[in-house]
Amino acid sequence: MKRFNWRWLAASSLLCAMVAAAQTRPQYGGTLRVTTHATLTSLDPPDASQTDSVARRSLLLMMFDTLVAIDDNGRIQPALATSWQASSGGRRWQLRLRRGVKFDDGTPLTAEIAVSSLRAANASWNVRADADSVVIELETENAEFPAELALARNAIAKRSADGKDSGTGAFHAVEWEPGKKLALAATENYWSGRPFLDRVEIEMGKGFRDQITALELGKADVVEVPPEQLHRLSSGVHAVSSQPAELLALVFAREAASPEEKMLHEALALSIERGSIRSVLLQGAGVPAATILPNWMSGYGFVFPSDADLPRARHECEQVKATIHLIPVWSLGYDSNDPLARLLAERIALNARDAGLSLQPTSATAAEVRLTRIALSSSDPWIALSAVAAMTGATLSRSKENSAQDLYAAEEDVLASQRIIPLFHLPASYATAAGVKDFRVRPDGSWDLSNMWLGGASLGNHGQ
Amino acid sequence: MRSAVYNSAIPADPLKSFDCPGLVFRLGFVGSLLILILLPGAAISARAADWNAPEQELAHKIVAITGPGVVAFSVENRSSLGQRDHEIIQDGLRSALAGLGLRFAAPEQAAATVKITLSENLTSYLWVAEIHQSAAENTVVMVSAPRPENSGLRNTRESTPLTLRKISLWTQDEPILDVAVLEENPAPAQIAVLDAQRVAIYRLQNGKWQPEQNLSITHANPWPRDLRGRLIPARDHLFDVYLPGVICVSTAAAPLALNCRESDDPWPLVPMGLNAGSVFPSAGMNSAGASVPQMKAFYASTRNFFTGAMTPGVGKFGSVPKFYSAALLPRDRYTLWLFAATDGHIHLIDGVSDQAAKLLWGSNLASVKTACGAGWQVLATTSGDAGDTMRAYEFPDRDPAAVSAAIDLPGEVTTLWTEAKGDAALAVARNRETGSYEAFQLALACGQ
Repeated sequence: MKRFNWRWLAASSLLCAMVAAAQTRPQYGGTLRVTTHATLTSLDPPDASQTDSVARRSLLLMMFDTLVAIDDNGRIQPALATSWQASSGGRRWQLRLRRGVKFDDGTPLTAEIAVSSLRAANASWNVRADADSVVIELETENAEFPAELALARNAIAKRSADGKDSGTGAFHAVEWEPGKKLALAATENYWSGRPFLDRVEIEMGKGFRDQITALELGKADVVEVPPEQLHRLSSGVHAVSSQPAELLALVFAREAASPEEKMLHEALALSIERGSIRSVLLQGAGVPAATILPNWMSGYGFVFPSDADLPRARHECEQVKATIHLIPVWSLGYDSNDPLARLLAERIALNARDAGLSLQPTSATAAEVRLTRIALSSSDPWIALSAVAAMTGATLSRSKENSAQDLYAAEEDVLASQRIIPLFHLPASYATAAGVKDFRVRPDGSWDLSNMWLGGASLGNHGQ
Repeated sequence: MRSAVYNSAIPADPLKSFDCPGLVFRLGFVGSLLILILLPGAAISARAADWNAPEQELAHKIVAITGPGVVAFSVENRSSLGQRDHEIIQDGLRSALAGLGLRFAAPEQAAATVKITLSENLTSYLWVAEIHQSAAENTVVMVSAPRPENSGLRNTRESTPLTLRKISLWTQDEPILDVAVLEENPAPAQIAVLDAQRVAIYRLQNGKWQPEQNLSITHANPWPRDLRGRLIPARDHLFDVYLPGVICVSTAAAPLALNCRESDDPWPLVPMGLNAGSVFPSAGMNSAGASVPQMKAFYASTRNFFTGAMTPGVGKFGSVPKFYSAALLPRDRYTLWLFAATDGHIHLIDGVSDQAAKLLWGSNLASVKTACGAGWQVLATTSGDAGDTMRAYEFPDRDPAAVSAAIDLPGEVTTLWTEAKGDAALAVARNRETGSYEAFQLALACGQ
């Protein structure tokens, strides 16, 4: 045997003490404390009275499962349905349910319950149970229909007589104060494996500044951070951002009534200096946008220029003035609870004035044009585009080919109406405490705690 | 774009996946031996993608608008494609367009400009052509191109007493829980790969692993997250499978069957090759030449760790702290056990004392018996730039001394078990770039 070099060993021992610690296996246990700006007053997935937000989606998908899910690469993956089959050219869909799944009240998942849940969310769907399968008949062919089933509003819920919803999710509600607080506990026999966390406590309706303070004081583990304030976080805080999944846009209350009015809408779009607004007001966050869909979703966003073109904007205003002799004054509404919105509205009004337009910023709810944050509803581009188009009264239907070229044409049509002026695509950003491990943000900005765990001091006395 | 799909209730059969292009790239063992990772500069080059179909499709779309003639042509890359692919695609598009009657010139001499942007979206590459013809609006046409899969491996080498080598065994998309070498000749000739659904058996034929049989694992309760499992060759049948709350026993001869039952029986910690029940009689003895007594530990059926209850106990300790993994270092009169405990410490237990050390190691440990150095080494993970690194240590007393250079693994180590013979370890790492799980055999070589 070769003689061993103990001097070398001593040196190596020092070296090994200097290297960074390796990843450890996930640890079970602990309570995660989350704060959100949004306030949920209902935990019913299809409740249309609730504004769609990433916080709502995140919370619903912790308690309720969908039949299928969309992964980070946009592919459909099994969830409560283990398999699915299309027939009649994508008009009839049969999804076979996973066996052995139970709701948090102990009731087994059946096709009848799934059908009832889907009907509640989609009154117009023709859906029925067939043994252990759910069968959905569509009016039109849709080769990408499973992406619809991955939406949080289509999550499967069992409604009891007292109006309480039960889910099959990784967590179930144990405390619920609508609009204020939600406490969730891990579901021990979750079909996809018990989550690592024991409990999640969510405090709702918290201002962004309060959330960051709570994180810094150790009173919260995961908080929301406006993208423009990420740079203000203290150095020890870990920040996570999604793909740009929120659209900041100007939305007109009604369709342009005349070609001249449409030209004025276009002039407004051309007047806005998105680049300098991004630098100054958004502190470099977000992506200037001239499209509804962000480029990561569509792949063609760069074709639409987002740079201001003031000469062209002025020219269009002058042309209109020559025809109708009067440029109307528009009220520009913004959300008074959004600290950034007023600044943005004032800056947009300033840009518009340079082009010859007159905008009056107002925090009143009624306005001719409104600065709006739109959480894109899915990472599936057709679904996201359709939802935004619906806000403007337009209806889209997927082409049979479902090609990028068709998507481009559909978006071009929506934009051509000049009812919506895209401004920026913004990510959803979060800050997490040091012990938070494997906190994952889905491409649509919602968070996924199913594989998250707490390490070190964050685990506290709740661990294992 | 995507089309309607049907997923089998049991995820896609890997026996079929061998013939499917675009699925996981699996390494043949002979090929793997040729790219022993420690060789400087060794790397698997990315598979060249075939861009011909989208090139032709886009060229036809462009020419349908421009007609034959003279155009100004440019290609810009805004995607994750590398410079080499960018150039290949640019040349391919140029050829395809020329084949359809387009000629190329500077913008001022051209009837139209064709600006192609190589972009991408969530699911695929997207090549967008913006066509500007005089006195006309821009026309935009586009085609989607599938994203190819790449793989690559990195390596380092240092001058150290022992050399830790890693040999690629197997790669797949689903998490690998364990890989057992069932037959060696002298290189592995038959392996079994354990994942959450099955044990898949492969035989090396003509330098490639060919599937032989898939054995499904049945279980009544859901698997815990961070699922772990062991696949251990047995004396009177082919192998046993240990999973949380489940034990499966194979039959002895082909065609094999696997019988699974609910069980909380303890899992063996001492490799079969090192104890009296060995199926590898020549594999190894302890430093005194005697076999190491078997030690078994109870695994928490709904978690990812051992409960700490041992059978038999470690000396006076009937139980030890809850732990993720264990390694043993036989001494002349006792065995020193190392436990990577859930409290973040490495507990060194010799049967009399329990010493907790903070070593900055990961939670995966394995011991190997070799003819090098002190005869027994412990493999442990530390954090690297692109993933975990693995290193061999000895314990002259109670402090570790590194005896090999750290080798890079392509991502976080998810599995590390001592192989059945006891002279090598099996590591699985999740590749940070591809997301696939790669199993390696880790062996120590003596000297420089």
